Amino acid sequence: MPGSAQAPVDVLIIGAGASGAAVAWSLAETRMRIVCMEQGDWTNPAEYPTNYPDWEQRLAGTDSIDPNVRARPTDYPINNDDSPISVVNFNGVGGGTILYAAHFPRLHPSDFRVRTLDGVADDWPVDYDTLEPYFAENDRMMGVSGLAGDPSYPPKQPPLPPLPLGSVGETVARGFNRLGWHWWPSDSAIISRPYEGRDQCKNLGPCTSGCAQGAKSSTDITYWPVALRHGVELWTRCRVREITVNAEGMADGVVYYDEEGEERHQRAEVVVLACNGVGTPRILLNSTSAQFPDGLANRSGLVGRNLMFHPVGFVQGLFEERLDSHKGPQGCAFLSNEFYETEPERDFVRGYMMQIVRGGVWPWTTAMHGARTGRIPWGPGHHEAFSRRFDHTANIGILCEDLPEEHNTVTLDPELTDSDGIPSPKITYTLSENSRRMLDHGVARATEAMEAAGAIEVTGGGPARLAGWHLLGTARMGDDAETSVVNSWGRSHDVKNLFIVDGSIFVTSGGVNPTSTIQALALYIADTMKKNLANLFD
Amino acid sequence: MADQLIASDSVLTTAQREVLDALLDTIIPPGGDREMPSASDVDFLRYVESNTPDFVPDLGDILGQFDAEFVRCPLMVRYERVKAFSEAAPESFDRLLSEVYACYYQDARVLEAIGVGVGPPFPRGNTVEPGDLSLLDPVSKNKTTWRRSPK
Repeated sequence: MPGSAQAPVDVLIIGAGASGAAVAWSLAETRMRIVCMEQGDWTNPAEYPTNYPDWEQRLAGTDSIDPNVRARPTDYPINNDDSPISVVNFNGVGGGTILYAAHFPRLHPSDFRVRTLDGVADDWPVDYDTLEPYFAENDRMMGVSGLAGDPSYPPKQPPLPPLPLGSVGETVARGFNRLGWHWWPSDSAIISRPYEGRDQCKNLGPCTSGCAQGAKSSTDITYWPVALRHGVELWTRCRVREITVNAEGMADGVVYYDEEGEERHQRAEVVVLACNGVGTPRILLNSTSAQFPDGLANRSGLVGRNLMFHPVGFVQGLFEERLDSHKGPQGCAFLSNEFYETEPERDFVRGYMMQIVRGGVWPWTTAMHGARTGRIPWGPGHHEAFSRRFDHTANIGILCEDLPEEHNTVTLDPELTDSDGIPSPKITYTLSENSRRMLDHGVARATEAMEAAGAIEVTGGGPARLAGWHLLGTARMGDDAETSVVNSWGRSHDVKNLFIVDGSIFVTSGGVNPTSTIQALALYIADTMKKNLANLFD
Repeated sequence: MADQLIASDSVLTTAQREVLDALLDTIIPPGGDREMPSASDVDFLRYVESNTPDFVPDLGDILGQFDAEFVRCPLMVRYERVKAFSEAAPESFDRLLSEVYACYYQDARVLEAIGVGVGPPFPRGNTVEPGDLSLLDPVSKNKTTWRRSPK
């Protein structure tokens, strides 16, 4: 607890989610005094929705993935009015890993070289080979299930065997085989066997609500227990308003609000931002001073710019046979990288991953969605229509690479604030023509796959609105201080003792779920910091 | 109006309960291949009182839209009247439908009948077949598809 709030700490990490936890754990061995401030609480697995009969309603309300619906005191509102995609997040120990589906693919080698290979956007200042040991270390720390041998990746060995394909996976995989398309059991941060004191997945269904079984690898039960044992301090209900700077332009601490709403100042030698691609630019833009009138670390003008989501399309197939679609794990049957890489004959550059998912089609959800689409009427005929659909569907998500565009931004809303009065983020985002074409292509191909698998009815479209899971690019890394915010190891070009380790430093988005890469990057940055401790600010 | 329909102990009058039952029987009638219960068989009123008490006044208003004659009408006539109400007051009806479905699809008899385990997912869990990984054989035989990238 922040009892000694005025005493300086060596390293102050803001945010206890995917990247903050990884950095805290890695830096712990330095025996420096490390404090992590988290605006949310620890979550209690006994209070996750799947413990209750009304779990589906909780998922839609008090435990929604949408912070504007959940609206807990620990959340901050987000203005999504100027975006076709709304931000999804969670504020608490574990961050977004509390409610992610734990689909855990890595970015591909080509993702780090898109300028060189495809002539678009920019290359990253790091590459896959540099990150590979950190991917592997992160897989071990988190507990990742998967199957070696995927021809769409360089060799890798997940520490645990794959999660079950189930009826959904088998059925749709046959369709992919008929088309001769790539597919492979997903790498998932869900343990398929007992691992490090945690019991294995028991297929509850909804992974996006916090895992009551503890099989989903959220960082509150992976990195944090180890980091705390090694001496890292984690202060919850501490909401940072801004990072302060000294006369030399170095970060010297943060102003934050404690649980009682008291404003406090905490001094620090090093500040690490780990607040995701929306929370990080929000704090930087709120951190104005005479030296940094446009926000901290923003001399390039790029803080908050180049926001990338992964525009998501969904295709649902209806099958004659029962597929046990309501069972879990939710997002991890298999993936396909058939259309991941650029092909000249297509009318878009880069590509997308297809994620074959189950779950999300639970009884109440099915009935309500059926009522709203007219496919399951209320009244006479309800039971027959419900029986025909419930447990008879499979879904394919199309996750498109989103290229960076400076006009897609996170800015400060002029009116909206959180409960402490801190200006909230405003999202301004336009779906690019390239992403639109990619989505259309993906929906058409996923429809083809469903038909090849024997679906008797196929529906789909995109972009899905409440699908802003992946928040990337708003403090990009690079070697040139004019065109990037941080260098190749996450250090601000402008403020030598300020580091950023979350998804905001992505140069491009790739076309896969980013958590594995975010954490590998965070471990790489932490390792580089440790190697350069003697001259960290040179 | 609501406090006239819903007594202070939250128990409806006999006439009001009859309207509610007829309304519920119309939204989810009994039947189907699995001999499903009606929505009036799953104690909707208790559900509302314990889970969504804020809905009680709205429910009272909705019941007030239907008279005693509604109770005696055959199903298809009731259906047309409820349909007319759903079109005249879509937001009210959507909330009603959501609550009726929420109650119905938590009921043990219903969950059992549709092949879902009774009770919340945890700690019950589900069995999922591992699947046939030999389906991967043609994929495994393919050459690598990832692009080697320059340093």
